[in-house]
Order: sequence, then structure tokens, then C-alpha cells
Amino acid sequence: MPMFLPSKRDGVAGFEGSGDGQVLDLETAVKDGVLGGVAGVVGTGAVVGEKLDLKKMIEELDLAEIPSVFICPISLEPMQDPVTLCTGQTYERSNILKWFNLGHYTCPTTMQELWDDSVTPNKTLYHLIYAWFYQKYLLMKKRSEDVQGRASELLETLKKVKGQARVQALKELQQVVATHATARKMVVDQGGVAVISLLLGPFTSHAVGSEVIGILVNLTLDSESKINLMQPAKISLMVDILNEGSIETKINCTRLIEKLMEEKDFRSEIVSSHSLLVGLMRLVKHKRHSNGILPGLSLLRSICLHKQVRNLIVSIGAVPQLVELLPSLDPDCLELALFILDALSSLPEGRLALKDCANTIPNTVRLLMRVSESCTQYALSILWSVCKLAPDECSSVAVDAGLAAKLLLVIQSGCNPVLKQRSAELLKLCSLNYTDTIFISKCKLTRTIQ
Amino acid sequence: MLSVLVENMGLLCSRNRRYTAADAEENAQTEEIERRIEQETKAEKHIQKLLLLGAGESGKSTIFKQIKLLFQTGFDEAELRSYIPVIHANVYQTIKILYDGSKELAQNEADSTSFVLSNEHKDIGEKLSEIGGRLDYPRLTKELAQEIETLWKDPAIQETCNRGNELQLPDCAHYFMENLHRLSDTNYIPTKEDVLYARVRTTGVVEIQFSPVGEHKKSGEVYRLFDVGGQRNERRKWIHLFEGVTAVIFCAAISEYDQTLFEDEQKNRMMETKELFDWVLKQPCFEKTSFMLFLNKFDIFEKKVLKVPLNVCEWFKDYQPVSTGKQEIEHGYEFVKKKFEELYFQSTAPDRVDRVFKIYRTTALDQKLVKKTFKLVDETLRRRNLFEAGLL
Repeated sequence: MPMFLPSKRDGVAGFEGSGDGQVLDLETAVKDGVLGGVAGVVGTGAVVGEKLDLKKMIEELDLAEIPSVFICPISLEPMQDPVTLCTGQTYERSNILKWFNLGHYTCPTTMQELWDDSVTPNKTLYHLIYAWFYQKYLLMKKRSEDVQGRASELLETLKKVKGQARVQALKELQQVVATHATARKMVVDQGGVAVISLLLGPFTSHAVGSEVIGILVNLTLDSESKINLMQPAKISLMVDILNEGSIETKINCTRLIEKLMEEKDFRSEIVSSHSLLVGLMRLVKHKRHSNGILPGLSLLRSICLHKQVRNLIVSIGAVPQLVELLPSLDPDCLELALFILDALSSLPEGRLALKDCANTIPNTVRLLMRVSESCTQYALSILWSVCKLAPDECSSVAVDAGLAAKLLLVIQSGCNPVLKQRSAELLKLCSLNYTDTIFISKCKLTRTIQ
Repeated sequence: MLSVLVENMGLLCSRNRRYTAADAEENAQTEEIERRIEQETKAEKHIQKLLLLGAGESGKSTIFKQIKLLFQTGFDEAELRSYIPVIHANVYQTIKILYDGSKELAQNEADSTSFVLSNEHKDIGEKLSEIGGRLDYPRLTKELAQEIETLWKDPAIQETCNRGNELQLPDCAHYFMENLHRLSDTNYIPTKEDVLYARVRTTGVVEIQFSPVGEHKKSGEVYRLFDVGGQRNERRKWIHLFEGVTAVIFCAAISEYDQTLFEDEQKNRMMETKELFDWVLKQPCFEKTSFMLFLNKFDIFEKKVLKVPLNVCEWFKDYQPVSTGKQEIEHGYEFVKKKFEELYFQSTAPDRVDRVFKIYRTTALDQKLVKKTFKLVDETLRRRNLFEAGLL
């Protein structure tokens, strides 16, 4: 049990800057507040105690650096009811009582045997702890109010200004909202969502639009706001900005549209836009910035859930582009990409596109039993669609790519039974064109081990 | 002769010979000219070429006039006056088309009585039709204006006007007919609005150079805007302008889905625009060119779409109305917009997909709207420049 915990001073009145936070400078303490400068904190301990609960303050503040004298040596947590033993050591009441209940009658830190089992409440220490937290709490509240005040100011400004002033106000609001949760709540509560949503329209410039989207994507939007944002003119603007903006802007647009899609009664025609889908594919294939891949694929996946749009996705040539991407994706992205391809394979046009792409089979075979069970499931489903469509053509390619060995692996693994059944069916389909001996030779297990 | 030779020999062999004042001046002039040439060549490189393309009567020239009004010195009185003959011509042409149209409809329609004029109006009609058929139009006098108004108010003519889409009735018809008194005033000077409505078939190419000065006063881009004739016979002149174009502003009048071409009354105007847009998109020299599609004449579209279903146009045959009023107008517009978007992506080869393509809803006659729209176009082109320079 460490006796002295390292702690940092962070400008709390009354505590000296050197040492380990145990030195108390009485003069500054009294003047600046720990001991009573702050409006009647300590003197009327009972009154204040009613207003602000110490436990609540500790929880809300969640500070990492607390003066070591306030910490209970048993739990290493700040004490809320400090009691002192006859040895002079102070502990949190509940903890030391638990220690006694376990049958120990020693002082945990000094290891001395106790000659007196009384525990004396250490009122002085309690007051100090309370005052310290209270001051921190006030500071935090003030900072938060400053931020909230600023956010509120910016909202008022936005109702009035135009041009460059508007862009500047939006930029600042975006930063405030991105860093402070309290600001986000304030903006939402003050009807800020409606105010800034109004700024989106057919004549909104890129500069304004990209900032507005950057703000909206960080806020919790209620149903009404989302429906408002789904107006065709606003969505058109989002799509345009997605296509023209920086990578951060592109990601913001993508995430915002995805948020809107969560609304029930979302009409799929909103996202059945060539520009949107082409823009998303461009985002997903971006060579320089790979952080757009995950949000892009995530939105595409959400769009894929709407059957009516699938045809459009296939028609813009998404299938071969996604297939080409597969080898370079990380596991999260892979699962999304495979899901999308699997969803597209439910369409005849999708199946055709998959079959026509030379790398579909090799890329998907390689992924079987490689990443996760879901990936294997989707890959299997895709292979099944393709091989069913053109068994003669595809099964030979598949078998040459090592499919048979992989399928055997699946069957022998601990995967769910449906998967195993599928694998068995696919294996049978592929084996139809071969004699038994040749087929068995194609099932070279060594390939998979490699 | 020898003396000249001797003199000039000196010029060749000894640089430091007497350098006359004349020589110095000549050198200075040459230098100045060369400097000017260099400056202009550099400046040329920074001038962005914008091309207004589109079928006939799609609104190209109106946009052109708007740009002139917005970013140049506008029209001075002399220029405004120069439009008087055009406006008067429009008046005569309009009433002639309406009168001749009413006669034709009276003959061919089952319900012919609604197109029959009263006898005295017939006389006026014949007279105006004859005037409208001349090569030179007389000045619009108060008397003539009165007669035209009388004819215009005749129910048969009004009924004919409702069938305006079957005739080649210009879009300015209503506007000028409603303002006859003002137009026929002896001291009439056209207003800006009159000039914007005035209709002349553009032939050849017209250009202006301008710098849109906005909040970024110092970083003014220089644009050179070219306007062309849209009718079929004019289009062969387009190809000469296709080199080095920064952006094509393609105007498509979306209100024309129920009208036929001036130059070919069998062909639906929207279908013509569709084919033309497709052709323009595929031009090799536009590989890297930005495309701004102006879906124009929205004000007319708004009123028409609720009365005339979009499906009368073959391209829009799969349209299904969903509601009424404003919602339906928006729905109709979005449908048309999607069709154009679809056309763009179908006509664009994969290697060109990165060029800028944006669609704008415009009403070329509304100056405020055109200004806002152009601001956005300017922003897009500026961003594109930065992007291509690697700065974005």
C-alpha cells in the first residue's frame, strides 16, 4: 500500500507547487478559497452539503490527478467520509470497516496493532476535500458555460450575418461543437439545428455548406430535423459537396447521409442518385486518403439494404471496382464490401457483373476462412451465385484458385451448419465437371496451409 | 547607292557607332510591343473560356445579356434604344403567329367555333398578319398597338394562345402583349427587363470578357463568355470554339417538353435537347471541361407541369405524379433533373467521370437568381482551379 501517491498540482489555491501536494499554504488558501474565501463553502458546511453532493462532483469531474492526501490508501479513490485511526492514519470509513470485518485489527499502512478500535471522523480533511472538489467543479462549470455561451452567441450571429462573416461563425461553431459535448447539447436545445439547416439550399456556397454539414454530423438530430434535411434540394447539395469537398468534408457528408437513412420511412429514391453513388465509389477507391473507405462502404451497405437502388449501383460499375478493392481492405471494410457484393448478387445484373469480372473468383476464394465467419459466409454466397450462373465456366476457374481445398476446410471447421451445408453443395457443383481422381488432386490441402 | 552601302556596313560591323535618336525610339517601340505581346499572352492563359451551348431558344442569349448587365457596365441608352426595332418585331411576329394559328385551328379542330374571330377582328387580323409577314416592320404606333390589343383580347386568340405549344409562339408573347401601351409610346426607351425578354435568333458568335468582382476583389478571375446560335444550321459553327474551354454552360429549357422545334416541327424540343447534350458530352475536346447544366425556364415549367403531364415527352414517359401543388412541382423537377443526371453518366466514358458536373435550376430572366447562380459557378470553377494546381 503506497503511502505517498504522486500527484500534480494544477493551480489549486492554497497548495504549494513543489513536493507532493501535501503542503498547504494557509494564507492563499483562505484568501482564494479552499478554506472559506469561496462563498461560505466551509463555514456553512451543512448548507453547501445539501446543494452539491460530494459524490456527484467527484463522479462528474472524473479527474485523474487528485492530491494524494485526499486518497484512501485502501481503495486509492478520493475519500468521501474520511476517518482517522488511533495511529493517526486516515481511511475511507467503509473501506476500513470492511478491513476490520475481515478480522484485521491493524492499521493497514503502518502495520501496527491497534490499541483502540475507535474511528474518528476527520472533519477537517472532509472540508478540505469538499472545498477542493467544489472549486474544481465551479471552474468546470464556468468553462462549460463559456463554451455554451459562445455557442449560443454564434447561433445568434448566424441568424443575422452573411458572406464571409457567416463562414467564419460557422467555422468557429464547428470547432466548438466538435470538442465540447456541452456545446452540442446547447446547440440542439436552443433550436440550433433548424437555424443551420435553413442555411442549406439550392444557392448555398460550398464554403457554407461544408461547414454546416460538419456541424450537423456531430449533433443528435431528432426525427423532425432529419425529415427536414431530406428535402431534395438539401440532399442534392450534400451530394455535390461530397463530390467536391476535401476528404474530411466527404466523410462528414457520408456520415450525415447515413444518419438520415436511419430514420424510419426513409424513401430510397433520395439515395438513388448517380452522382451520390459515383461519388461514394470514388471515395472508397481514394488512393491518397484511406480513412474514407470505411464510412464510404458503410453508407453503400446501408443503401444496398434498399432493393430498388441495387440496380443503379450495379449500373455504375460498382461490382468490378469493389472486387478489385478486396485484396487491399482491412477486416472491417472487407465485411462491408463482401456484404455489398453479396446483396448485389441477388440481382441478375449483379450476378452477371460478378461473373464478368475476372478477379471475382480468385479474390473471394482467397478470403474464405481467412478473416471472419461473416466474411466467409458472404464470400461463399457470392461464389455460389457466380458458379450457379455459369457452372462450366466458373467452377474450373474456382477449382484452380483453390476453392475445393478451402471448402473442405469450411466443412471440417467449427462454422455454423448452414455454412457447412452450403460448402458441401458448392463442392458438389464444382466437382461435376471432373472425374473423382482429378478432383481429389485439385483439393491439395497444402495450398491452403500456405 | 555606295554611300548607303558604306553607311550600312558601318551598322553591321560596329555596334558602338553613332546611335541616332531615331534608332533609339524604334528600339524602344519594338521593346514596348514585345512586352505588350508577352503580357497579353500571359494574360490569355489566365482567361477562362466559358461556352454557352444549347438548343434554340433555350435561354443562352438571355444569360449572356444578364452577365453583361451584372458584370459589365450594362446597357447604355443607345444600346437600349437599339432594341426597340427588335421588341416591335417581336410584337408583330407574336400577333401574326396567333392570328394565323387561330385560322388553322378553326379549320382543323373539331371544336372550331372557339377559334373563330368576330368579323371586324378578322379584318384587323388580316391586316396585322400582312404586316407581320413583311421583311421590314413599321414602327409600333399607338393606333397599331390599340388594334393589336383588341385582337389579343379576343377570346378566340386567347384560346389559340392556350395551344401555344403547337405553334412556334415565343415565350415573350405574354409579356409584350401585356405591355403594348408602354411599348408604343413615342418616347419609349426599353427597360432592362424588356431587353431581357426581347427575342432575336442569334447567328454567329458573340463574346464578352468580364471579371466577376465579389468579396474577393483582388482575386478576380477573368472570364470570356461566348454565345452561339442554337438552331441546327448554326451548330456547325460551334466546333471552331471547342478548343481550350474551361467550362460549358449548357442551357436546357425544361418547359419545352411539349413543344416542337422551330426548324423541324416534327421533332420534340426536349428530345432534341437530350440528343444535343449527349453529343456535346462526347466531344473529345471536352474531356477535361467542366459542365454546368442550367435547367432553365423554371418559371414556365412551374406553371406548365401541373397542367400538362410530363409523359407527353417520350423521354419522360415513365413519370408518375405523386401529389399536387408545390410538392408536385418539386417532384416533377427532381424527375427531370434525374433524367439529365442519368444521361450524363451514360454518356460519359469512365476516364471522364472526374470532370466537374453540376446542375442548376435557373430562370434566366430573373437577375437576382442569375447572379446567385453565377456566384456558385464561379466558386466551383475556382475550387477546380485550386484542385488542379494541387492546392486542395
